[in-house]
Amino acid sequence: MITAERKPLAEIKAMLAPYRKILVVGCGTCVAECASGGEKEVGLLASALRMDAQIEGRTIEAHEMTIDRQCVYEFIDKLTEAVGRYDVILSLGCGAGVQAVAEVFPKTPVVPALNTTFIGETKESGLWVENCRACGDCKLGYFAGVCPVTRCAKGLFNGPCGGSKNGACEVDPDSPCAWQLIVERLDSAGRSDLLEAIYPPADWSKQQGKGPRKIVREDQRSES
Amino acid sequence: MKAESNLKNVLTQHNFAVTAECGPPKGADPVVIQKKGDILKGYVDSVNVTDNQTGVVRLSSMAACAILRQEGLDPVLQMVTRDRNRIALQSDVLGASSLGIRNILCLSGDHQSFGNQPQAKGVFDIDSIQFIQAVRRMRDEGLIIGGEKLSEPPRLFIGAVANPFADPFDYRVVRLGKKAAAGAEFIQTQCIYNLKRFAEWIRQVRDRGLDRKVYILGGVTPLKSARMAEYMSRQVAGMDVPDNIISRMKGVDPKDQRREGIAIAVETIMALKYMEGVHGVHIMAIEWEDVVPQIVEEAGLYPRPETSRE
Amino acid sequence: MDQISAGLNITIFFCRQLDINQDKNRRAIEKELGPRVRFFPLPCSGRIEPLHLLRAFESGADMVYLIACPEGACRYREGNLRAKKRVQYAQKLIEEIGLEGARIELINKTAAMPANIGAIAKELLARDAKVSTSAVRSK
Repeated sequence: MITAERKPLAEIKAMLAPYRKILVVGCGTCVAECASGGEKEVGLLASALRMDAQIEGRTIEAHEMTIDRQCVYEFIDKLTEAVGRYDVILSLGCGAGVQAVAEVFPKTPVVPALNTTFIGETKESGLWVENCRACGDCKLGYFAGVCPVTRCAKGLFNGPCGGSKNGACEVDPDSPCAWQLIVERLDSAGRSDLLEAIYPPADWSKQQGKGPRKIVREDQRSES
Repeated sequence: MKAESNLKNVLTQHNFAVTAECGPPKGADPVVIQKKGDILKGYVDSVNVTDNQTGVVRLSSMAACAILRQEGLDPVLQMVTRDRNRIALQSDVLGASSLGIRNILCLSGDHQSFGNQPQAKGVFDIDSIQFIQAVRRMRDEGLIIGGEKLSEPPRLFIGAVANPFADPFDYRVVRLGKKAAAGAEFIQTQCIYNLKRFAEWIRQVRDRGLDRKVYILGGVTPLKSARMAEYMSRQVAGMDVPDNIISRMKGVDPKDQRREGIAIAVETIMALKYMEGVHGVHIMAIEWEDVVPQIVEEAGLYPRPETSRE
Repeated sequence: MDQISAGLNITIFFCRQLDINQDKNRRAIEKELGPRVRFFPLPCSGRIEPLHLLRAFESGADMVYLIACPEGACRYREGNLRAKKRVQYAQKLIEEIGLEGARIELINKTAAMPANIGAIAKELLARDAKVSTSAVRSK
């Protein structure tokens, strides 16, 4: 899933300063799962904004709406009827959601309430960890299911640096050394031969070659 | 212009090599480098220049190497993959060779979060092993990554680092093997305080025959104080300072601790000299370069061999 | 000065497990003080959501209590421990808009307290007012 965290209220307030009527829009998919942009968080933020305005003697209107996905047109369309009545959309979607909404409603300013953080996994309740950088060239099969691009602080392809100690990474001792995990898992899977191989430089063009990437699947496209 | 690497000559002529580390200043003053070069000249075979070590901005390693060249020393250009992508790295490899720099040490580099630019983007386009392989191919085949041909290949003696004290321990020698296979010709190790563990590592190195593929220079850093020993033991990842070293430093009066640190360094070098598979020492006297001549003399490694030069 | 005399509106969330007669026991206070004191029974204090707490302030509360079972005595094992963390989170949220975190208070029932929500509420209301009326409703 895509994870995100709410921005500090002061930053959100600064972006909303010129506007009075705010449509606060949540997303029911990834950011709901990571408790940053779902219906509950929309409620919390809208409530905080309303009270904050009241304390400061301003009047605002903050209307709450949460759609299933902010990154898919069919769901964004559910906002169409309401959008015209508001000065601004405050999106609690990820960066993709914010941009998709902005694209659909070019006349209404859209501001982000979240900082989109990473692609990750819900490790346990209340703990999300990054484990994919969407490099476009997955090599997990060679690394025992542990991504060195993401989980090694230096993105090393050819083994642990000198800062691996007692299974922890020197950069963040609370994080396991990805290479310690890779070495252990390949050993226990009887594939330590993979540890001897030299991996050639990565093809980063698959990640950032010609600007934004796109996937085209003709079989999925409509004729119109 | 000296055509060959002095370090390479010393090693290929079966001498026990001595290199030292020189940290460039946090400023644009070339005199600092010249002074450090003057101190080391004649006492070491080559001088490593660190590349923005620990992610702290300093005068560039390449420029400092060029200055040392002018002073008649044989510099080892340290290059990390943290700050430059493959375009810049390969370009600097060519640049270094054109300036008469004949040794390169390829590293990934300390993570940027440790330095004074923690908000910098860490590049890590390629890792140290991929970098070694690229330099080797540039030199031997005249080809850059992707296979394009160079008009003139760089002339460099290629080095890498090894940390026998990091984990996972048994993988350390595998990684050294990868560096040798990638094309490294000499290896400089992390500072050695735990000789027992180092001896175990070098045994594994010999078992794999790696000591016949690469020249291994053991790292030695003289301790300035008991506090430094404790700090390195506790705060510096990948550093193994055993308790007996710390208590030995603590056991002497603070004003004599430097003397004790030098004594430990000399003893370590003597032990390394007689360890099969070790081909030299690399003295990293951090901001204490002027102690190097004394250590080299006390370890019986002075004068340095004259190698044939053009 | 006690909280009612200080003019405060109080909202009380509480765990129903604390008092099997909660419905009856809170009626006298509700009758006496009207909307100035509002009770919200929860099946367990762990069901509290930060949003409930914020909505209470938005609806005019000056002080919000969450009354939970003693630590270690939650029927659902860790409900009251979760409640504690939710309260801390909500405190951070109200502090962001300039309300004192102390306006939300978690009360873990002790053996000395009566098993009667009306009686517990009376004790709370009789406490000295730590805050003044909230800026959310006073403007």
